[in-house]
Formats: sequence, C-alpha cells, structure tokens
Amino acid sequence: MDQVLQALVNGLLLGGFYAVMVLGFSIIWGVMGIINLAHGEYLMIGAYLGWGLFRYFGMDPFAALLLILPLMFLFGYVLQYVLINRIVERPHLMSLLITFGISIALANLFKILFTSDPRNVSVAYNGSVELLGITFPIVKSIIFGVALLAMLGLHLFLQRSRMGKSIRAAAQNRTAARIVGVDINRTYAVTAGICIAITAAAGAMLSPTQAIFPFMGPPLTLKAYTITALGGLGRIPGALMGGVVLGVTETMVSRFVPGIGTNLGVAISFVILVLILILRPQGLLGGLRPVDPDAE
Amino acid sequence: MKTKINELATLPNRLGILNMTRLRMLVLGLVVLAALAGCARLPTPEVREDVSSATSTEDGAAANVIRIGAAVSETGKYSREGRDTRQGYGTWLEWVNNEYGGIDVAGKRYQVELVMYDDEGDPDTVARLVEHLISEDRVDFLLGPYSSSLTQSASAISEKYDKIMVEGNGASESLFERGFRNLFAVLTPAGNYTQSALKMLAEQGAKSVAIAYEDTAFPTSVAEGAQRWAETYGLEVLGVETYPRDVADVSGIMAKFKEAEPDVFVGGGHFNDAILFIRSAKELDFNPKAMVITVGPSNPKLVQEVGADAEYVIGPTQWEASMGYADEHFGTAAEYAARYEARWGEPPTYQAAESTATALALHLAIEAAGALDTDSVRTALLDMDIVTFYGPINFDDTGKNASKPMGAIQVQDGEILVVAPGHAAVSELRYPAPAWKDR
Repeated sequence: MDQVLQALVNGLLLGGFYAVMVLGFSIIWGVMGIINLAHGEYLMIGAYLGWGLFRYFGMDPFAALLLILPLMFLFGYVLQYVLINRIVERPHLMSLLITFGISIALANLFKILFTSDPRNVSVAYNGSVELLGITFPIVKSIIFGVALLAMLGLHLFLQRSRMGKSIRAAAQNRTAARIVGVDINRTYAVTAGICIAITAAAGAMLSPTQAIFPFMGPPLTLKAYTITALGGLGRIPGALMGGVVLGVTETMVSRFVPGIGTNLGVAISFVILVLILILRPQGLLGGLRPVDPDAE
Repeated sequence: MKTKINELATLPNRLGILNMTRLRMLVLGLVVLAALAGCARLPTPEVREDVSSATSTEDGAAANVIRIGAAVSETGKYSREGRDTRQGYGTWLEWVNNEYGGIDVAGKRYQVELVMYDDEGDPDTVARLVEHLISEDRVDFLLGPYSSSLTQSASAISEKYDKIMVEGNGASESLFERGFRNLFAVLTPAGNYTQSALKMLAEQGAKSVAIAYEDTAFPTSVAEGAQRWAETYGLEVLGVETYPRDVADVSGIMAKFKEAEPDVFVGGGHFNDAILFIRSAKELDFNPKAMVITVGPSNPKLVQEVGADAEYVIGPTQWEASMGYADEHFGTAAEYAARYEARWGEPPTYQAAESTATALALHLAIEAAGALDTDSVRTALLDMDIVTFYGPINFDDTGKNASKPMGAIQVQDGEILVVAPGHAAVSELRYPAPAWKDR
C-alpha cells in the first residue's frame, strides 16, 4: 500500500509540473489556434535564466521567478507583436513553420552562447522530507505548490479581469470580438506574453531537478502536445487534469512494470494520445473550441 | 470567393502601413544580421594540413613518406571530442616527424603525412571521406574517427578496400562482432567499463547491485558487461531497468531500487543521466553504498554542476594522467600530459590520450612488420604485446584491446581521483558512502 501511495505522490508531483509546463502551450493554442512548436525552447530559456541567475548572482531559482516572469512577458509580448501577429490569421502551415523556425534559431543561439554542456542548478535544499511513511522530494513539492498558485492566479485573471475577458472573447470568436472593440493584436500579444512568461517560469523551476541543455526543448514540446490533447485546449482545469493523468500513469507504469517500465511509461503517453484523438477529440474535459476559420 | 474579399479588404490597410512594415522588416533584418554576426564570431574551423616538412608527391612511398588518413569531427555534435582526437593524433605526428626522426621501416626512415577531414559527426559523410582518403589521397593506413557510430561506418569502408584502421574512440563491442580483419582498437571495450569498479566494491564487501541503463548501443554494452562482472565477482543483481533516450524523470526506477536496497547502483548513460540519477537518488532518499555511473563522473563539469552531491560517485575512466603507465617514447602518463599541455594549452582528456596511443600503436606495428603492406602490418598488430603511457596494448583476434583494464575514479572532496586498478590508484576508495541525510 505504501508503495502505491508513494508512486501516487510521485505521479501527482510530476503531474503538477506537467500542468504548469503545458499551460502556455494550451492557452496559445486555444486562443490563437497556433500550435507553438517553440514551446520547449521557451522552457529552455527559462531554465537557462534560472541557471544564470543562480550561478552568477546566487539567486534562488524560485526567487528568480519574480525577475523571469516580467522579463519573459516582455519577450513574449514583443515576439507576438512583431512576428506572430503577422501570420496568425494566415493558414496553419505558416504558424507551424514560423514557430518551428523560432525553435531552431533559439536552440542554436543558446548552443552558441552557452555551448551544449549540460547545466544544473544545485540548490542546498534538494533533499526530501518523510511524512506518514511517504517521501516528499522538497524541490518537486515546491514546484507543485507554485504550479497550483500559478494556475489559480491565471484562472482568476481570465475570469475576472477585463483583459482576461477580452482574451476569452478573442478565443471564442475573433470577428465578433473585433466588432465589439477588442484590440485583437494587443490581446494576442498579452496572451502570448503571459503564456511565455509562465512557460519560462516552469523551465526555471525545472533547472534544479534535471540537466538543462540547448536541445532539451523538442521532447517537452511533444509532451505538451500530448497533455493538451488529453486535457482539452485552452482550459486550465484541463491542463491540470491532463498533466496529472499523464504524470500518475507514467510513474505507476515505471514503478510497477519490471525492466522496461520507464520506456513503457513514455510510450503510454502516446498510446493515450491516439486513444483520445479517436474516442474524445475534444479532450477529457472538453475545452474551448479551437479557432475556426469558417466562423468569420 | 471569401479569401478574395478578405484580400481586397486588407489591401488598403497594407498600403497604409507600408512604412510601418518597412520599419519592421528593418528590425527583423537587424536581428538576422546580429545572429549572423554571432555565428561569424565563432572560430572558423581550421583544417590542419600536415605538419611535416616532407615534400609530398603523388607516390608517397617513393619520396619516403607514409600517408595516414583520418576523418575526425571538427564540427557537429562531436566537435569537442573530435578536437581532442585531432590534437591527440597531432601530438604523435609532431613527435614522430620532429623528435623521433620518422618511422623506421626496415632501416629506412619515413616521414609521416597525416591527411585529416571533417566528418561533421555524420555517418554518411565519414564513409564518403574514408572512401576519398583511400581512392583519391591514396593513404597507406587509416586512423579512426570519434565515437562508436562513426567508427562503425568508417571501418566498413576501410574493410572493403582492405586497409588497416587503428582506432581509439569506438568502444562498442558490436564493432568487433562483424568479423572484420582490419579494425583494431586500443581502448577498453564498453563491456569492461565497470569491471575495475565492481571488483573493487566486491572486495570491500558489497553484496548486491542494481543496474539502470539507456537502451542505446553503448550503454547497453556497458550494462550487459556490468551484469557479467557482477556475476563473476559474486554480486547479486537485484534489478535491471532500461530507460529511453531523452528521459526526463527516473524516479520510477529509483523508487523501485530504493526498496530493493542494493549495495551498489550502476547507471549506464550519458552526462545528463548522471545528473538525473544523482538528483533522483537524493530526492527519494535512495542510499546505495556506492554509485557507479558512466561518462559523467570523469568529467570535471559534473562536480561543477551538481556540487557536493557528486561526492562518493564512482565512474569508469579509460585513462588519467595520474596513472602509473609509461613507455620509452612519451615517457610516463604524466610526462605525456605535460607535453600535450605545452603544445595545445590544455590538459589532455582521455580521448586525446587514446588517440595518441592509437597512432603510436600503428607506428610500432609498421616498425615491427618492417613493411608497408596490409598483411604484414596486420600480423604485426595481432602479435603486438606492449605497454604504453596509455596502458597495455594487446589485440585479440577480433581487434579489441583485451589486456587493458578500465580505471575507476571517485569524486573525493570535489576532486576526481583514480581509485582503481590498484597500481594506478592515487587515492583510497571511500566506501560505503554515507546516507544523504548524514552528509
């Protein structure tokens, strides 16, 4: 029983990270209809920022979030305004190409800047606490807490604030939103800013738990894609749900299948993806309808 | 129809913002230029021509020149290790031409010309280059590229043309299971990577081992070897787990091993995995008495990135400058290291040392054969039984160096110190490692 509980806890903690990691991807997709292939690279930038601030300024990666969030918001805002907004209403292939291009450019830029040597942030408190016979990894528990906070904050922002309402309006019907006076360009730029800031924050929180290197992005993008399909587009509860389902499945399989468990755990996320696409294409919880070009 | 209307609707708009668009294009252009400038600042790869002063003519042998060819990564994913390999070959080349006075073939001195190309880390390119070296440059012998996968591809060509290839950077055992007659490797094969470490740990009283490895060629070789050696030294194997490339989380494996409570944990993988294993073990409070991990620990970068948590971690190493090997040509391992550092401005990695040893082995085989034809040199290589600054070299029938033991290092107080085998050790093994909580 203890083993099952321990695996469940590990899975939940992993799922919490997955959820905050996927949030930006899911919302950009849901609101703008863009599959952001550079998502993993934004995580990578965040991870390098976390590492750089730790290494050169001695800043704790979680404290560094206060700096990384506004910085990456700005980055996302400008990137969206200058580049992505130009193609957002064009055919999907354009956005796929441009985000793919961004991902290649960023990965190689970071290779030039930092070489491909793996980096890691070594925080002093990366041990564990034992509670009721279950081991809680400290760093991963903090990530879980921050992830929940981020999701709650974003949820309130989208539901309550004027800008949040604009974003939801733009997601539901771009033309109608325009008619009632929503500045779509600005709304999209803010959306991208928020999404990329949260993504980079997830990357920074990742830096104490594993090796970071310029080419770490693509597998994470793939994972984000799976989780989004699982949980539904543009929905915060969907991201949490998808993340936790995947996290728990992966941990359970790798814990209880001998020999090839970890391999199988990774494979299973894609089996789930295929099943979901066949059986429930709208995701487990449904979701915002993807932007429909014919609606205009 | 709809699209047309849309286009018409946006047309005046586009015209209106033409200036704005131009401005944006300008900004974009600047960004691209800046990126290009960034690229241009990278050191341009320098293709080193032969350092020898000998005149090279179309027919090398007539002008007392032996031509040796190699395709080694200068760019691509192995650019770093490739540079070590090139510098390793270069160290031997300058020594043999300038100090040693050329290779002595049946009393006649031959200068050496080394022709090297950049294989870009690509198996197809390396095959093409080796073909070019043999048929266009008409080299007499070949030295290996960096990495098992490139050696796999390069040696297939040299075998086809019946040319000798001596290599020092492809450890995978699958290279030598193809029945090739012309491929020789001076380094310890992957299956023996954990031998010294496991032997030493068994002597210290370890009873059991758990093994996790990435399911690709080299780590698989290492892990199969580890299982074999565990059995040989009486260690019970409590669990064997594989994981895929690019894995981001090994907590499932580590949680499982935590319950099995092995004395020794063996991790076969690459640098990133070493960080994951150490992190994960600490997070889950998994306390094996020793952790043996490939690739990562012998690299000073691991200590830099992981800090104090890397303490007590054991890693296999092909060669360290502190080892006690010596030969009459380069002197002791330490003297070789000093020579290398004086020439290249950085201490030699083991990849550099094994590359120099590779060239030296070929050199000594040619001298022993007293001839330049493939058959005589092959026989000389098979008969070879020597000790160099890099360690003993004695090829078995398949071309592997069967006699060289793998070393083991342990991270002690932030330093990487050789603890095995006994005659090369500079420090005592620290065993058992204390639990994470007691450090």
